[in-house]
Amino acid sequence: MISGNDTVNEALAKAKSKKVYIEGNFTKLLKGSLDADVVAYISECKNKDKQSRRKRLDVTKQVQLQNKELEEAAVIKEALVIELQNEKDEAERLRDEAVEDLDIMQKRTQFELIGLIVKVALIIIVGVGVTTTLLYSIAMLANKDTTILGNAWSNLFGILLTNSFSIIGTIMGVKYATEKNQ
Amino acid sequence: MIDSILLVDDEDLFHLVFEDACSLLDMTLSLEALNSSDEADRLFKQWFEDGPIEERPECVFVDLNIIGSSFDGIELIRKINTDYGNGVVIGIISSSDDNQEIEKAKEVGAQFWIIKSDEIEPRLEDFIKDYNSYKTKSAPFKVYK
Repeated sequence: MISGNDTVNEALAKAKSKKVYIEGNFTKLLKGSLDADVVAYISECKNKDKQSRRKRLDVTKQVQLQNKELEEAAVIKEALVIELQNEKDEAERLRDEAVEDLDIMQKRTQFELIGLIVKVALIIIVGVGVTTTLLYSIAMLANKDTTILGNAWSNLFGILLTNSFSIIGTIMGVKYATEKNQ
Repeated sequence: MIDSILLVDDEDLFHLVFEDACSLLDMTLSLEALNSSDEADRLFKQWFEDGPIEERPECVFVDLNIIGSSFDGIELIRKINTDYGNGVVIGIISSSDDNQEIEKAKEVGAQFWIIKSDEIEPRLEDFIKDYNSYKTKSAPFKVYK
């Protein structure tokens, strides 16, 4: 081991024998010596230090470059994620719009159908009512026997009235059920 | 050879690159690297107010944008040159080559601007050649591209 009593030359010779080489900026402070072995050792230390520095510099630069590439990739990735999110939001908006349009269309079709049923039912009810009333009136004006026709007219009118309420009730029920399903 | 260098840069990897490049070019015997301009400000303040002034580095390299610091490299140079007695060779080392920023640095007394790149050694070699004239304040402001 190197002791505090060793001269610099002795210390360097001991280090050399153990194959221990001085590293770092300390090598820059080492100057020549009268001892050829020590000169060779110092020169070897400097060379080894330069080689390890060069190697480390190359590795560090490579790591630095890879870091830069990773940072750039992360930025691109983040931009892509934002773009994807925007497209997803847009797709969801369009889907919601389509569902809403479809719903409106279905409702419109249902309302049109209900309207048609009501219209037809009303025409039939009014038609039958008008026809029987007309027949009853003609019979009365022509002084014919109206006993059967009068009973038939009142019965028919009652039935038509009941049926019309039934139709209206059915329509309202369908409408209520449709609204409840939604 | 420069007696002592202080590097102020937030990027730890660049500390290693700079240290090895300086060592390979026999630029300096002593290199200290700091991560923030606040820390550098505190040290310069201490050297200026309490001393010893000899402990100040001979040359200072400052990054332009120091993440995590209260102020940027240009402001640090202004503080060192106006508040803490000047007396050091100081400049910017940055990957930016923004002309507006370069002009700002020049105005606050930066002596050089070195652009960081993958190959920093040739720029540092050119800088060493001009170093003595920076020390005597006889060299004009220069950008090492």
